Amino acid sequence: MSPTVHRRGQLTAIANLRWRMFVNGLRSRRGKMELASRIIVTTAFALGGLGGFAFGIGFGFYFASQDKLEFLAVLLWPILFFWQVFPVMATAFTNNPDSSDLLRFPLTYRSYFLIRLAYGSFDPASALGSLGLLGILLGVSIARPLLFPWTLLVVLIFALFNLVLMQTVFAWLERWLAQRRTREILGVVFILFMLSFQLIGPMMERFGNNPHPEFGRATEIAARVQAVLPPGLASNAIAQMSHAKIVAGFTSLLFLGVLTLAVGCLLHLRLRAQFRGENLSEAAARPAIQQVQGLQVGWELPGFSAPVAAVFEKEVRYLARSGPMLLTLIMPIFMLVIFRLGPMNPMRHTNFLNRAPDMAFPGAAAYALLVLTNLAYNSFGGDGAGIQLFYAAPISFRQIILGKNLTHASIIVANTLLAWIAVSYFYGVPRAAVSVATLAGILFAAPLNFTAGNLLSIYSPKKRDFATFGRQNVSQTTVLASLGMQVVIVAVGTAAFFIARFYKNLWIAALLFLVLSTVSIPLYVMVLSRIDGIAQQRRETLVAELCRA
Amino acid sequence: MDLAPTISTLGLSRRFGDLIAVDGVDLSVAPGQFFGFLGPNGAGKSTTIKMLTGLLAPSSGRIEILGLDLAAHPVEVKRQIGVVPEGMALFGRLTGAEFLSFAGRMYGLDRETAAKRAVELLEFMQLADQPKKLVTDYSHGMQKKLAMAAAVIHGPKVLFLDEPFEGVDAIAAGTLKSMLQGMIARGATIFLTSHVLEIVERLCSHVAIIHKGKLVAQGSLEELRAGVEAQTSAGSGDGARPSGEKLTLEQIFLRVVGGTRPAEQELSWLG
Repeated sequence: MSPTVHRRGQLTAIANLRWRMFVNGLRSRRGKMELASRIIVTTAFALGGLGGFAFGIGFGFYFASQDKLEFLAVLLWPILFFWQVFPVMATAFTNNPDSSDLLRFPLTYRSYFLIRLAYGSFDPASALGSLGLLGILLGVSIARPLLFPWTLLVVLIFALFNLVLMQTVFAWLERWLAQRRTREILGVVFILFMLSFQLIGPMMERFGNNPHPEFGRATEIAARVQAVLPPGLASNAIAQMSHAKIVAGFTSLLFLGVLTLAVGCLLHLRLRAQFRGENLSEAAARPAIQQVQGLQVGWELPGFSAPVAAVFEKEVRYLARSGPMLLTLIMPIFMLVIFRLGPMNPMRHTNFLNRAPDMAFPGAAAYALLVLTNLAYNSFGGDGAGIQLFYAAPISFRQIILGKNLTHASIIVANTLLAWIAVSYFYGVPRAAVSVATLAGILFAAPLNFTAGNLLSIYSPKKRDFATFGRQNVSQTTVLASLGMQVVIVAVGTAAFFIARFYKNLWIAALLFLVLSTVSIPLYVMVLSRIDGIAQQRRETLVAELCRA
Repeated sequence: MDLAPTISTLGLSRRFGDLIAVDGVDLSVAPGQFFGFLGPNGAGKSTTIKMLTGLLAPSSGRIEILGLDLAAHPVEVKRQIGVVPEGMALFGRLTGAEFLSFAGRMYGLDRETAAKRAVELLEFMQLADQPKKLVTDYSHGMQKKLAMAAAVIHGPKVLFLDEPFEGVDAIAAGTLKSMLQGMIARGATIFLTSHVLEIVERLCSHVAIIHKGKLVAQGSLEELRAGVEAQTSAGSGDGARPSGEKLTLEQIFLRVVGGTRPAEQELSWLG
């Protein structure tokens, strides 16, 4: 058998494997629900992609007809950012299988490399980015038909650069995520990086209101730097060719090609190590001096049973060992700082919170609730095979859920308290009516979130893998349901505050929330009292999903 | 003296769609027995052990542990049993001591007792020298020992072990075996599944064999041996052995489940 036939057979087998995995996944009721959720998510993406496509056509046409093709960089930069950042940010929407699983088969290195790229090209970010680029290609070609072949070539190389860069970023991220310590450092760095993006808006707003000569100079330098980076090179290649500057156009394209190759080399380094059977063992070296095992007595929670206290302690220890998760939980405070970085000039309060500082505390509290969805809506995700202990132990599932909810409630209380202190510092002490209305709002929203979270944690569990990024295997059903629940809560909360502000009496909001909490709290208690039966009914699904290797 | 069985099942069955994984199994394990539950891959061993420990609901049939109906008294039963299931049921992001203390409290021990037993068990299992190490960083053998420690921390009367010696080195296996034999000596009942027939033969006094979901043999090793020998002498006599040589458990197992393959079925294309 020739190597080409051999490779084709392997690639066909892999494509068939993915198809069979998809089809077999539909056998269960949960699989069908996942498909329905995926169709909704894909439709939303398709609409977004079509928007980007139309945007690309419009602006591509405009820049080409106005002979300003160097401005295409303005379109190409967002595409590059989206293509690279979206898969990392929205792991819930990406579902790339682990290509290293295939290493046990006699694949050539070239096949392995190609499979990795092929997996990446099925990513939503790649599909949407490609749609945007296709729009640009069409827009430019409609305005300047003669530029079509050249633009096609440039756009293809730019797409290839993005595809290779995305895979390189993932391959290296996974290298660092493979070990717990580097994983946690990387998690913290990642969140700080994301936060720095949030700072751009307020900073621009702040500096934009006053003439800053340094800012202008920095912009000039940034413009020069971007010209030698892929989006700048791609737009320059098209612009130069449109002015018949063939050498300059080819030079830009050549540089773009060189950058693609350079990134490809970085990917090659990683994949080659994987292909050679790299072993990233987490086992620490045995210490020279043996440490003495002391007596560690567990925690006690007054008013709660020992199993509830044990679950609470376990949850807190898990959180304390997850740097990124901890940082996520204190994000509301960061957000307050970010909002406060808006314009200080009291006459030009364009920032919403500066215009309505009484909304700062409710806003921060709402955000505190929001960041908790990740934990509360898949509360068994991190337990993995440990779920079997919960079923094997002589306790009711209600106690386990209660222990988990207590942890989540403690986080809300701590976050709300911190938010109140931060708001008092940044915007002044919130009025009593605002504070009470916010607390009443939490009293309504938290039990509702816990109720939905507890049910989804049991009905739609997904094992959380601390060592992967893009393959986080999140349930689409949970993503959609939690999104829906947050929309409802935010809408109800906003309506209550709107009504209260309309009547210029925030106590109305407090009253409304208290009335609503008379529904949400009994609902929580009712679901909690039935959770044992539900958990017993769903034990096979839970155990099978969470014990999955 | 006829003691009431510690574990008994009556018509225990479990279906997964059209597949009958366990089909009308009637088991009886007497107090103090070291009971080996054997079967080829996919025979229904893990499904049975999951049903016996409350991890899986039976489709039909009845389970009694220590005289209590599991369906009617799940909490009372669970309080008196220990389990090392297939996936080991560990919490990766706790240290060994934290995990054992947690498991102890889930089984109703008070905080001090759970902490003291955790220390003792870690020392016994030779896991005490790295107290800060998280369970996720343990080797497979260390995890097996920790799972075993968690299963016995509350001093169960009955212990269910699903493949306890799989992936465990000889030293760790020795530690586990000595602990299990100690428990039997103190009157506990142990129910284990294993593919390592030599270990089962050495440890277990009684054995049951499940094949394609049905229980095909049950009794003491001697009873099983006698049954197979009687069948052999009544049959074609292909198992003729020099007189005085006992059948090993592996031979008994292969005869019961029909594991021998005719020579013409061998894969002639293999190098």
